[in-house]
Amino acid sequence: MMMKGGNKVLARSLMTQTLEAVKRKQFKKFHAASSEEQATIERNPYTIFHQALKNCEPVIGLAPILKGGRFYQVPVPLSDRRRRFLAMKWMITECREKKHRRTLMPEKLSQELLQAFHNQGPVVKRKHDMHKMAEANRALAHYRWW
Amino acid sequence: MLKGVTRLVSRVHKLDPGHFLRLGTQAPQSLAAHLDNQVSFESPRAISCTSENDPAKHEEKHEGQHYNLPLQDMKTIFPHGLPPRYAMQMKTFNEACLMVRKPALELLHYLKNTNFAHPAVRYVLYGEKGTGKTLSLCHIIHFCAKQDWLILHIPDAHLWVKDCRDLLQSSYNKQRFDQPLEASVWLKNFKTTNERFLNQIKIQEKYVWNKRESIEKGSSLGEVVEQGITRVRNATDAVGIVLKELKRQSSLGIFHLLVAVDGVNALWGRTTLKREDKSPIAAEELALIHNLRKMVKNDWNGGAIVMTLSQTGSLFKPRKAYLPQELLGKEGFDALDPFIPILVGNYNPKEFESCIQYYLENSWLQHEKAHTEEGKKELLFLSNGNPGQLERLCAYL
Repeated sequence: MMMKGGNKVLARSLMTQTLEAVKRKQFKKFHAASSEEQATIERNPYTIFHQALKNCEPVIGLAPILKGGRFYQVPVPLSDRRRRFLAMKWMITECREKKHRRTLMPEKLSQELLQAFHNQGPVVKRKHDMHKMAEANRALAHYRWW
Repeated sequence: MLKGVTRLVSRVHKLDPGHFLRLGTQAPQSLAAHLDNQVSFESPRAISCTSENDPAKHEEKHEGQHYNLPLQDMKTIFPHGLPPRYAMQMKTFNEACLMVRKPALELLHYLKNTNFAHPAVRYVLYGEKGTGKTLSLCHIIHFCAKQDWLILHIPDAHLWVKDCRDLLQSSYNKQRFDQPLEASVWLKNFKTTNERFLNQIKIQEKYVWNKRESIEKGSSLGEVVEQGITRVRNATDAVGIVLKELKRQSSLGIFHLLVAVDGVNALWGRTTLKREDKSPIAAEELALIHNLRKMVKNDWNGGAIVMTLSQTGSLFKPRKAYLPQELLGKEGFDALDPFIPILVGNYNPKEFESCIQYYLENSWLQHEKAHTEEGKKELLFLSNGNPGQLERLCAYL
């Protein structure tokens, strides 16, 4: 999803720069913190990345189902891979569209990943919105036939 | 059956160690791991860091070890001139550590035995991209700063021949061009490095800036620098005056002069600057370059000239070129002709091990596999011992 036009070299370099940015930010926080907090600060960019994406995965999703000429948004369970896909997609679209035009992708992505790691930030909010919609449309669950 | 097995074994032994990781054969790896375990029983700090922080006392036994530079000194000696990635590393680790390597040790030895009555010797550090030429230059500059030499450090001569927003026609010589911004920035940094010398050195000639302002004979060099910083239009001429005076007075023996130029191949290459009528400007027509060329000629004594070749910022040169003949061209090579070339190469195994240990101590390598022997072999293979590549690899691990 990072790759555009098959430019894997660029996508790979963007990801490595993001991991480096995450690492440098965490190191800065580490050096500024007291010794008790230092044990809690995570500096491995890979664990941060995986944890952040796990925090962004929705548990339940919505599917448009046609009944009686109208489309209803019906809450539906999502498979593992669909959840991972949605987490990654939301993360990347958030960075591409909602941020200032001139900031670079590694910077934007590293900020978003760190926020998601702490369960804050716009991507986790979008996940919660999805859950709330599913909860609101709970009555339509009978429209699902699978 | 036995013949087939022996042929397989001999073929396996012919492959180099890097390939073993990909194939995943068990026996040779366990042998290598056993041998390495015996070496790594010494404490890691003993291999990677040394407590000898004075560059004057660095010797062969310190080769491959990192020494600490105090951050306060870094701000005065290196307001400009550190490679950007190294500056980022310095900010992240909150400390500045430099590795002692053979080319720098060799240069230090020559500098310690310089005869100041002879004309200044020219040393050229050359090597492939990312091998550590600029950081070796920084090591030398730190040594000279500790020995109280006057340091004339041009961080990157390539910045003066490309991307200049305002080119003025020089008031001193109608044929040449001035670069006010670059000159004023350089003067500011020069002032930070050499504060204490600026009041001691007096200029020996009268210079007239324009109809109303002039500077008298006998006033200090500090005033020339101030004039260049405040009046940006005259900054290039101020730089020219500073260079001329320093060259003249270093022969007198009051101070030792170190001229350190990074990317010296810019002085004899092409530029990307154009006049208003879109005709290209040659390097000689820039006043800064012209003065710098005079500085790098060895017709003065009382110091040394240390230079670095650089392909990274160079214009119109192929990427793989690193030899002096290729990068300087015929004109540059002839101008620099009697010089001492010093090759800066990739890390040897000891230096590589030391670098990895340094990163591990600062917990820069966070990936679990980086601590293992296989991980180190992979890093060695991927970076080929090239310090620049290794640094970029370890950044995201």
